[in-house]
Amino acid sequence: MTVDSQGTATAGPQDAPGRAAGKSQTPPPSSGPKEVLQPPRGRRSLPSGVLPYLLVAPALLSMAVLLLYPLIRNVILSFQQLNRKEFITRETVWTGFDNYTELLGDGDFWTVVVRSVVFTAVNVALIMAIGTAIGLLLNRLGKKMRLVLSLALMFAWAMPIVASVTVFRWLFDEQFGVVNWLMRTLGFSGYDQHNWFETGFSTLVIVLILLVWGSVPFVALNMYAGLTTIGSELYEAAKMDGASGWRTFWAVVFPNLKSFFMITTFLEIIWIFKAFAQVYAMNLGGPDRGSETLPVFAYIEGVGQFHYGVAAAISILTIVMLIAVMSFYFRLILKEEEEL
Amino acid sequence: MKRKLIAAIGVAGMMVSIAACGSDSGSDKGKDGGKAAGGDKTLTVWVMDGSAPDAWMAEVNKAFEAKHPGVKVKVEKQIWNGIQEKVTTALSEDTPPDVLELGNTQTAGYAVTGGLADLSGDKATLGYDAWNKGMVASNELDGKLYSAPWYAANRVVVYDKAAFKKAGVTPPKTRAEWIDGLKKLKASDPKSQAIYLPGQSWYVLAGLIWDEGSDLAVKDGDKWKGNLSSPEAVSAMNFYKELASYSTAPKDKDEATPQQSTDIIPKGGVASWIGLGWEAGGAIDAMKKAGKTADFGYFPIPGKTADKPGSVFLGGSNLAIAERSKNKDLAKEWLALAAGKEFMTKYATATEGALLPNTDSAQFKPAAGSFAEAMAASSASGKVTPVTPGWANVETAPNPIKDYMTKVLKGEDAKKAGEAADKVINERINQQ
Amino acid sequence: MSAATTTPTPQKLRTRKPLTVGAVAKNLGALVLAVVFVFPVYWMFSSSLKPQHEIMTKDPVFVFTPTFENYKTATGVDLFWTYVTNSLTVTIGAVLLALVVALAASFAIARLRFKGRKGIVLIVMMAQMAPWEVMVIAMYMISRENDLLNSIPMLTLIYFVMVLPFTIWTLRGFIAAVPVELEEAAQIDGCTRGQAFRKVIFPLLAPGLMSTSLFGFITAWNEFAMILMLNKEKESQTLTLWLTQFQTAFGSDWGATMAASTLFALPVLIVFLFLQRKAVGGMTAGAVKG
Repeated sequence: MTVDSQGTATAGPQDAPGRAAGKSQTPPPSSGPKEVLQPPRGRRSLPSGVLPYLLVAPALLSMAVLLLYPLIRNVILSFQQLNRKEFITRETVWTGFDNYTELLGDGDFWTVVVRSVVFTAVNVALIMAIGTAIGLLLNRLGKKMRLVLSLALMFAWAMPIVASVTVFRWLFDEQFGVVNWLMRTLGFSGYDQHNWFETGFSTLVIVLILLVWGSVPFVALNMYAGLTTIGSELYEAAKMDGASGWRTFWAVVFPNLKSFFMITTFLEIIWIFKAFAQVYAMNLGGPDRGSETLPVFAYIEGVGQFHYGVAAAISILTIVMLIAVMSFYFRLILKEEEEL
Repeated sequence: MKRKLIAAIGVAGMMVSIAACGSDSGSDKGKDGGKAAGGDKTLTVWVMDGSAPDAWMAEVNKAFEAKHPGVKVKVEKQIWNGIQEKVTTALSEDTPPDVLELGNTQTAGYAVTGGLADLSGDKATLGYDAWNKGMVASNELDGKLYSAPWYAANRVVVYDKAAFKKAGVTPPKTRAEWIDGLKKLKASDPKSQAIYLPGQSWYVLAGLIWDEGSDLAVKDGDKWKGNLSSPEAVSAMNFYKELASYSTAPKDKDEATPQQSTDIIPKGGVASWIGLGWEAGGAIDAMKKAGKTADFGYFPIPGKTADKPGSVFLGGSNLAIAERSKNKDLAKEWLALAAGKEFMTKYATATEGALLPNTDSAQFKPAAGSFAEAMAASSASGKVTPVTPGWANVETAPNPIKDYMTKVLKGEDAKKAGEAADKVINERINQQ
Repeated sequence: MSAATTTPTPQKLRTRKPLTVGAVAKNLGALVLAVVFVFPVYWMFSSSLKPQHEIMTKDPVFVFTPTFENYKTATGVDLFWTYVTNSLTVTIGAVLLALVVALAASFAIARLRFKGRKGIVLIVMMAQMAPWEVMVIAMYMISRENDLLNSIPMLTLIYFVMVLPFTIWTLRGFIAAVPVELEEAAQIDGCTRGQAFRKVIFPLLAPGLMSTSLFGFITAWNEFAMILMLNKEKESQTLTLWLTQFQTAFGSDWGATMAASTLFALPVLIVFLFLQRKAVGGMTAGAVKG
């Protein structure tokens, strides 16, 4: 499954910008739940006074208290030596930038950073490609088959992570795995006790399958729902123009669901980059630390070794990196905001 | 401060209703339980799941509560998963559990933090002099006593009597006989595993290293350093590799993933394996449930020569008192009672000798041919991992000893892999 | 199929449509995908009905006599109903709280023009990147200082802030999608601004509210790291910790773990099926108009 989709995955993003730009003259869809003649979007510039501030105050306040404040505390911790001893005696030992310089000078840290970035990129590309493909498929299926497939997707989405990691470990188990059994049954040799977790790379491939499996339902179901908002007359028009399925996608579907793609990709990048339980529980970051991603590294070096100060420093660096990677997205989304 | 801010958010009404839901179970327990009005006290004891038979624990508490009217003992069973974080945070709180069970390889790591009460002055009441000397070491750090030993256990070889009989093998006394027997077992039933030995059973390796007269880590001046690249460790590891060559167990897993006792042995096809008392019991139970009958024999891990069985890791637990406990005196009394001779004798009887009590004279007389008999035979050669606060860091995942073993089993040179592992151990063991 | 709107009835459509290679491939592909996605779930469920010795086997067991032993073990633990109550309390509490607070904020962001609006949008976006798992230590220390350990309200509030940014984000898109003219019309009819919101916008938001509740529900329901650290007392723990308690050093009761996981997934599934129609549409409507 993954092998087949790889092609679409790599082809998709590369083609995207040029084609989409070329076809931007597509008529805007008549969106919105009600039929209105004028474009439904728009905000009236009212002299709103204090009202908006009152409305956003609860949200901002609660985020300030329960998100910003812990985050600041986290920054403070990152300048301390906070090992088990300091933690229990509640001593405060300032070490300045020691945690940071130690990390940034550590070759292992950078290996993990590169691995995390590549892992996230491949993962998100696959999730978006497969999710989009399944969303398109859902849109073209008959009623019954559509129900079957969406139910299957929902089941996968609802499965608790603890259970899905355990089941995936079983499926790929060396001695009792269903996958080894399947390979044997299909007549492949060498799968009597094949170790799927032989290397860090192979372990990450299994984690990748798990993450793709777990994330695709979100993308696919939303993609499908998004497609239903595109008026059928647009497809008709494209068909009359003699456009192929591929071209219809880039000419009709993509421009209309651009925001959907942008936001979903944004969320998936965050979720995958931060994924911890799936990576850690699969093989504890092994073998020989070969499947550690950044959150796992933070856990092992920080919490596992009771170096909470180091853990805090890693988390701050993680945020900085995420913001750097995402700044492109922020700009895009803010630009959309202006057009709103 | 937080409460005020929360109120300011303007969702106070919401809060009240939520609090009302939660308060029926939570509010008056725990936090103030230790110093509640009316003179009633609660002594909180954390024990690990599976450490103490329920009936025995109930008896201890009944005796204790009879002596101390108005005091209630609350036993909370903990699971091993994530216990280190849990104990660390608990010791930092104002109302920690009063008494806690700690693994003996981890006790020193907590002792150095100041989170455990110093029990040096209570040696007499705790019965220090009668304790098993092998078990005392892990309770002390820099001449001070931080906990009382509770129980210990060591591994023996468990074998399938029928398979041994068929191959004409009798329990070996030396390593040479052991290997010889494995060869015969393999010849008699090539489809079975003569021994099930996963690649990362590092406690077994530790025993082999001790047999060579060396250790996992050695003290060098006032620092510790890893010792896996030493010639002794290399020859121990090579012997492990020889043993493992009679097994098809995964090279990159330990005995708990998958759990050998319940997930491997009951399926059959294994002539022998190395395990603890509860593992043997678990395997027998699991086989019963699957409609099979276990016919196990037991022998100590063979030593290099016939006069002395192989060294074994003496794993076990200690009981400590939290420094921040509000009921230290009561806790000490409870500790003296539970870990005292009377109740340790009962403990040994309740566990049928599967666990060694902290006092030799409390020992249960094991039945002939039982697990307990084989275990007692080798417990004299029992040892613990290096007693230093940093050892707990070495053990945490990813355990460098485990990675080292996997590498060697997959063909890497033992000395070279040992050097890499020593580097990690050096980094971790000297940190507190 | 949806494109063929000119066809009068579905029956005719079916008869007219020849069984093309494409149609077969499409349905076959969908079937294979459904199997792939459902298999791990099926495996969890079937394992929950197996006796221990049939769960891990060299050759997988597909035919077996189901047993409910594992469910008995799973639900028979001490305090099971306390965990259920706590889980429902924190999850539902957090979701409702988030909806109320987010509704106000997203209305302001989507409909009103004011200084600092863009900054707030940026904050909401960044807040979604919060590394909650690693902030556990800081959160623990704050709770310890303020005597908020083992507190269900505290946990509820943390989960509330966890799901708040996403909720604001989605609702904002949804409110923006409601034509401003509708609101104006209501105001011309003599409604105040507040009334216009209540009577016109709010009903149209139902799908958006549902989709965000679903997301919030899944997030809060599955949260693990915080509760593990903050709530040590069994009386204040939730079902996520219950899930892992069958894996002990003395062997894992896989059957009970899978039975517990199956039960654990049920509420999410029920909420999902219940909200499904509107929810899924809502999520995208929010995103599409984003």
